[in-house]
Amino acid sequence: MEFKELPPVKEQLMKCVRCGKCRSVCPVFAEIGNETVAPRGHVFMVQMLRDGTVAPEQKVYDHLTNCLMCETCSINCPSGIDIHELNAAARSYIYEHNPSLAKDLIFDTMWTNPAYLKNAVRMAWGAQASGAQSLGRKLGLTKLLPGDLPKAEKILTGIPFRSARKQVPAVSPARGEKKYTVGYFLGCATDLLNPEVAKATIDVLTRNGCEVIIPADMKCCGLPHIANGKMKTAQQLAIENLKAFRQYDLDYIVTDCASCSSALAAKNMALLLGETEHRDEARAFAAKVMDLTYFLIHILDVRPPANAQAPKVRVTYHDPCHLANAQGITDEPRELLRRIPGVELVEMTDANRCCGGSGTFSITHYDLSMQILDKKMDNIEAADADLIATCCPSCMMQLRHGVSRRGLQNDLVHPVQLLSQAYQMSKGSEMKAAL
Amino acid sequence: MDKSAIQKELLKMFGKDRMLSDALDLMYYSYDSSFLTKLETTSPYAVVFPRSTEEVQKIMQFAYSHDINIVPRGAGTGETGGCVAVEGGIVLDLSQWKEIVEIDQKNMQVVVRPGVIHADLNSELAQYNLFFPPDPGSSLMCTVGGMVANNASGLRAVKYGTTEQYVLGLEVVTPKGDIIVTGGMKSRAIKNVSGLNLTKLMVGSEGVLGVITKIRLRCFPKPRARGIAMAVFDRLDDAPATVLDVYQAGILPSGIEVLDGSAIKAVNEFKPHIKLPDAEAILLFEVDGNPPSVEFEGDIIKEMAGKRARLVEWSTDPKSMAQLWEGRSVTAAAASRVRPDVSRIFAGEDISVPLSRVADVLRAIRELGQKYGIQVVNYGHIGDGNVHTAPVINPEDPAEVERVLQLVDEIHLLAIEMEGTTTGEHGVGAVRRRYAPLEHGIAHEYMLKVKQAFDPKGIMNPGKLI
Repeated sequence: MEFKELPPVKEQLMKCVRCGKCRSVCPVFAEIGNETVAPRGHVFMVQMLRDGTVAPEQKVYDHLTNCLMCETCSINCPSGIDIHELNAAARSYIYEHNPSLAKDLIFDTMWTNPAYLKNAVRMAWGAQASGAQSLGRKLGLTKLLPGDLPKAEKILTGIPFRSARKQVPAVSPARGEKKYTVGYFLGCATDLLNPEVAKATIDVLTRNGCEVIIPADMKCCGLPHIANGKMKTAQQLAIENLKAFRQYDLDYIVTDCASCSSALAAKNMALLLGETEHRDEARAFAAKVMDLTYFLIHILDVRPPANAQAPKVRVTYHDPCHLANAQGITDEPRELLRRIPGVELVEMTDANRCCGGSGTFSITHYDLSMQILDKKMDNIEAADADLIATCCPSCMMQLRHGVSRRGLQNDLVHPVQLLSQAYQMSKGSEMKAAL
Repeated sequence: MDKSAIQKELLKMFGKDRMLSDALDLMYYSYDSSFLTKLETTSPYAVVFPRSTEEVQKIMQFAYSHDINIVPRGAGTGETGGCVAVEGGIVLDLSQWKEIVEIDQKNMQVVVRPGVIHADLNSELAQYNLFFPPDPGSSLMCTVGGMVANNASGLRAVKYGTTEQYVLGLEVVTPKGDIIVTGGMKSRAIKNVSGLNLTKLMVGSEGVLGVITKIRLRCFPKPRARGIAMAVFDRLDDAPATVLDVYQAGILPSGIEVLDGSAIKAVNEFKPHIKLPDAEAILLFEVDGNPPSVEFEGDIIKEMAGKRARLVEWSTDPKSMAQLWEGRSVTAAAASRVRPDVSRIFAGEDISVPLSRVADVLRAIRELGQKYGIQVVNYGHIGDGNVHTAPVINPEDPAEVERVLQLVDEIHLLAIEMEGTTTGEHGVGAVRRRYAPLEHGIAHEYMLKVKQAFDPKGIMNPGKLI
């Protein structure tokens, strides 16, 4: 569909009265402080693009990418504008006029095919494990990488050797009486970087009467593509995901990744496929999609066994933007943590403020991303917790990097890992030791 | 001096990290919240981000010697084009200069740089049990410098007045580059009638006389308690009559807000769960102070409103107060969302009339809306006669734009005719300047002479205010 005809561009652009409320909530604006990065500035620039006042040039794209797509502005906009959608639409429009072979290779080839992506991550693992990463860093070879990648490669630490898919079966039967058949949308980052989260997800779901199916042909959720000007690829991926899940009779589609659930939720599916022949199927698909924590609280109402012996652990929770802002899910992860024996939930200040990770943002805008992370880490340190919990692999990666930069000792966990531990601990194992 | 030569000089003064000169970057400084700047965009020659009085002085000296226009800017949340270089020039973005220089608790004063955000200032002051009372709707984003330059206020102006009542002194860099301090060079006095009152002259001068670089504000003790009353009226005229009754009963609420039938309808369409009663007008009273006085005043308001209102509700419980206030808090947003294909615009949005004419004005605006086929949503600070009209249009339909501009012109003229003014708190800027001779007569010529005395070359924010 033509840029001008896209629903957000056509319907929402004119609603911006430039009141500037977005200036007061934007984490990027808080760091840079000039109008070129204010969300209303992005809306203005999208209008200039639409009207042909500015040409779809790379320079404009670079301006628009001074944005985390954290959606804080969108949820605070008095006029109800989905500023992030306008921004994403404009990025894709500009990208189509300024294609890049390298980017096509990364997003159209590598990031659409789980096997290629896995190989790339394994190469990174090899570099880390063999010390080549450190050697490369010392020799300055990493400086040959494009953009901020040389600095940002430090974020990718602790890559596991085996992906989740290598460790869990495609179908995990329910333990006890079966209640639901659940499709598990195993996102790329959970699969390749956090297999322990995937194992915990399957453990908790199966314990609570779910048969868990991971469709073999599942693709990336498409969110990285949307953020990087590849809306068309994201559309294609959404169609392929519909196909991958179509063959199963599923009660729910659950994911432990906030970004994936936001990408697969109704709003984003409507953005991608709302004007296509796949609209109805996309709507039905999205109606089944649920963030794991929401599913565990509202559908399964999980109650881990009481355990007076459970070690006391202070946990602070960071709200991922794609869960809190995009889906309004803030209570469920906290409620889940509260239900785990031994867990004391301690709130950090501004728990729902972006950590600066935002998928590929920390790679493309490393220094800015670190400034935003520093504020988050100040709040985390002040909370004085043992563990940091969050529901997004990108946040986990970023916060892990923050912990390492400050020489702290906090582990990063998904609440489901603590829950899985709680179930296992009824057999007497140590919660912390198993993390 | 041409644009690129100006940019080169500024680069030497500020370095590339504290200035913008790229054409694309400059476009972002072509707007504020006014409808005018949605229709016409003018980019400045450059944007700089000063962080010291000396830097401002240096740039003023440079601008003065080369006849270059200077446009001070805060957060760009104004609704008049006041911070936009409509006649070209250098924009001084002061919003990054956000230092609270001193909180003088003993003297209940605070000294700030112009870029401090209003809400941030009040959260700092709250630690000392103080507050800076003027409360614009843009509190979260507007700068104190912008508030001073526009003499801003908000819904509590009825009791606490406007910004000018709190400004004790200013540091201003004049167009020639002089640094002057108003309100006494060393004074920390609260009362001060020494000399011509340049402080009052500067407050609300919209950047046409100089650049405000430091602000000394008086603060008030923070009230301990609040209460909210909502009164629902079947007749529009009963609303201003009730306001008068409350005043005459010896009560000065901290805020009195009105929603007319158009606003009630917009709120209910936008958020059906709020379920505002269908009525010609709703009044919301806020009282603040110490708990016994709040209860006492609440009782009188209930009694006075009860004489004419169909329904009166009162609460001091924070949750219930928030519910009562919810309709008012979403009115501005509701105006934009009454239909998917429309937006509210900021034009003709700030007239202020005597209390005795409020009902007539609201009716007249409704009729004007019908005449031009434009939906209008009316709300505002009835306690001081300040009516916020939100025309709701498709801003991309040229025919509708033309009609709304005619409507806005008639609203402004109506305000003057009704013994009021075109603007109660938002300012004149570029959008209401043409009414200045009509509003002020020969006094307008004296205003121009004052301007000439400060700014003989006319470089300070030209095209605004007078």
